Amino acid sequence: MNAETNIFAGLDMARLDKRRRRINRIMLSLTAVATLFAVIPLFWITIYVIIKGGSYLNLDLFIHLPQAMGTEGGGVLHAIEGSAVMVLFASIFAIPPALLAAFYLLHHPNTPLANFLRFSTDLLSGIPSIVVGLFGYAVIVIVQKHYSALAGSVVLAIIMLPVILRSAEEMLKLVPQELREGALALGSPEWKSALTVVLPAAAEGVVTGIMLGIARAAGETAPLIFTALGNDNYEIFQYIRQTIQYRQGVGEAFKLILEQPTDALPLTLWKYAQQPYPERVQQAWAVALVLMLFVLSLNIAARLWLAKRRRQRYG
Amino acid sequence: MPVSESLPPHKAQKRTPPALWVALRHGDALWDALLWLSAALTTVLVFWIGWKLWVDSALSRAATGWDFVSPWAPPSWNPVLDKFHAWPAIYGSLVTSLIALLVATPFSIAVAIFLAELAPSRIRQILNYMVEMLAAVPSVVYGLWGIYVFLPLVVVPLGKFLGATLGQVPGLDVFFGGTIPDSGLSRLGASLILVLMITPTIAAVTRDVFQAIPQSQREASLALGATQWETTWRVLIPYGLSGILGAVILGLGRAIGETMAVTMVIGNTTGGGWSILRPGYTMASIIANEFAEAVSGMHTAALVEIGVVLFVITFLLNLFSRYLVWRVNRKVIVR
Amino acid sequence: MPEKQTIKIDIRDVSVHYGTFQALTGVSMPAYENKVTAIIGPSGCGKSTLLRSINRMNDLVPHFRIEGTVTLDGEDIYAPRRDVVDIRRRIGMVFQRPNPFPMSIYNNVAYGPRLYHIRSKNVLDEIVERSLRQAALWEEVKDKLHQSGLSISGGQQQRLCIARAIAVQPEVILMDEPASALDPIATLKIEELMHELKKNYTIIIVTHNMQQAARVSDYTAMMMLSDSESRSGTVIEFDETERIFTNPKDKRTEDYVTGRFG
Repeated sequence: MNAETNIFAGLDMARLDKRRRRINRIMLSLTAVATLFAVIPLFWITIYVIIKGGSYLNLDLFIHLPQAMGTEGGGVLHAIEGSAVMVLFASIFAIPPALLAAFYLLHHPNTPLANFLRFSTDLLSGIPSIVVGLFGYAVIVIVQKHYSALAGSVVLAIIMLPVILRSAEEMLKLVPQELREGALALGSPEWKSALTVVLPAAAEGVVTGIMLGIARAAGETAPLIFTALGNDNYEIFQYIRQTIQYRQGVGEAFKLILEQPTDALPLTLWKYAQQPYPERVQQAWAVALVLMLFVLSLNIAARLWLAKRRRQRYG
Repeated sequence: MPVSESLPPHKAQKRTPPALWVALRHGDALWDALLWLSAALTTVLVFWIGWKLWVDSALSRAATGWDFVSPWAPPSWNPVLDKFHAWPAIYGSLVTSLIALLVATPFSIAVAIFLAELAPSRIRQILNYMVEMLAAVPSVVYGLWGIYVFLPLVVVPLGKFLGATLGQVPGLDVFFGGTIPDSGLSRLGASLILVLMITPTIAAVTRDVFQAIPQSQREASLALGATQWETTWRVLIPYGLSGILGAVILGLGRAIGETMAVTMVIGNTTGGGWSILRPGYTMASIIANEFAEAVSGMHTAALVEIGVVLFVITFLLNLFSRYLVWRVNRKVIVR
Repeated sequence: MPEKQTIKIDIRDVSVHYGTFQALTGVSMPAYENKVTAIIGPSGCGKSTLLRSINRMNDLVPHFRIEGTVTLDGEDIYAPRRDVVDIRRRIGMVFQRPNPFPMSIYNNVAYGPRLYHIRSKNVLDEIVERSLRQAALWEEVKDKLHQSGLSISGGQQQRLCIARAIAVQPEVILMDEPASALDPIATLKIEELMHELKKNYTIIIVTHNMQQAARVSDYTAMMMLSDSESRSGTVIEFDETERIFTNPKDKRTEDYVTGRFG
């Protein structure tokens, strides 16, 4: 048929094809096996933490402060409250500048500052959290001369900032330009259209980013070691009662809550995990369960929600 | 509403009310200033961090100079003599990260191939979630599970096996010599925990790289009679190579910066020689362990200087990986 | 018919479904050896689907299902134990948009032969030169074989893709609107090339350009949606190209080729 020489003339094509098919099958199966192995730790960790942590989980854990070392009972109320306070204040510190900076990127996408901002946001998310902790120590702990929930909140805010900023930028970009222009055409000032039209339109995406940022901050330990330090007696309700009782101002309550060493769940988990007292190790497992439930459910909720909204929007 | 606001801007300007006054009442000048300020402060933050660490490590830098990071300077981490050379911690970081990378890279690429090219769409969805979850598990939980489950069940037997085999080979015994502690606390344990922790990161980014490759590339190869594996190996991987490299470098950054899980399983000692079966330190774990208890100014400054080294390394790695990912994106957009 | 024709590809009563959507209904047509067969018809009537069913590229689409038979030299290509890799080597394909690999011109052409473990430099050099000559590209690129396949013009890239396809010596070449992304001069080159190529290969080309079909093909299949309700396409007439364009049997074909359609 072909005037040219057959390049496959000397080859046993049937055997060659069989061999190629076999290599194909083997390599593709290997990728499936690798995937299986990659997700095994998730099940292993999750199931182990659920079983182990579940068996030591009890109400006391949530309502009591720690007992003295080596004695049974007690809880981790101090760490739960500490985590809540620090994550809350970290969010308060991180969300406004992150959203404003995201709006800056939306309005001025190509200025030198915008490019610089994207670059340094990437860097910020790549810096080890322990290094952020060193920074928090230097600019707050040293200056105030004591460890505090405030210092912990600030380092957590620095860790949340790039997470929120990046996802907010993505989400704001998805809001149709016409929506913004429509508001401007009605004579509404830029800031009003941004806050009342663009932000609500992107709300679910922005909230998702905030949830991921909170999940990230709630699981962080390293930067808290020498900013929040830890405090077995941290109990905000007692501080509040105390200020009311002695008729001190709101400022005093805030001072008690923010200006003294504080514990956090991951910090407690880390300390308890390495102690020789079995009660502490048991509590560490229970704390791990609480922490994982919180972080993973926040993650799952954020992602499921986002996926659902995306499906609704793009069919 | 005042008339001037509803008029087109050029007419409003003709009437020349005090510009500053209008702008302020309108609110947009303030808004713009606020946006600019937030952007500028966020931009400056990372450099402020770097600069602050640099300043605070002055004492140590002046005392030790380049010996601080030099592998050839006599190893010394001595709070009593106030003499600090960071090489043991740097070595610990390098060796654990590199081993983690060597194991995790092929593994993650295989996972990415399965996720992007093979998995049926329902399974793919679920697996994608699982990979995201793996990346979200707090690192202290990895550490806790590592101490009580992973070290005794996996690391100790593996360490004994490596010691009995590779540890007996002349030359290799430098790295595989000695016996692994019964607790399993060792550089090997840290490396393997890191494998578990960076695999989801590398796999997820690599998966995105594969998904960004145009379908026409796959079709071109398959239409020539290539099998799916041949298409993946000879077309997709070369096409996405710089993106995959970017993913790997991102993973390396994560491994070097990872603190808690490593601190909990590496044993935390400045000794340990070269062997991966022995306990050691990493840069991140030595800061985590000693900073709160450091007494002398020199000790503190030395730990901060390790922070500077970490900062510089992650800075460079991020720079490089962003560059690579950016190059891939550009290629995808241009085509 | 002046000479005896051998049927190379025979499509018999083929229906294609994607999930619940039926894309093709009861398609039957042959393709004769060493002839150019054009498939024409309005857009969305399943021309590409039909073409991609011939080398089983549709297998990549989820929920794809086919009924009826497609044969190559009398063998059913959808037979249960048939090797899709072998099918695709024997039935090459050129796509709508040029899709060279981001590697050198040389490596693009050598990609196929290398799959068959042909590694000798001499043999590969020979295959590359012969394929590029057959694709009428050799003179233009012989001095830059090691430059990227993406560095040449769109028309050259498409001829590179043709060279890449013929480097594995297929028996049939499928072309899916190969000139739709090209300028008129590049289009002309591709059309001239097809006249040369049909000496060695059987060619099936999908085109929306009726002048092109008339210029390059020996046979033409006219496709339409089977009825106005469904979105499912079928071949309503198959004949020698000359007859389709001068004396079609079907009123719809006549309307379409004379431009009265729609």
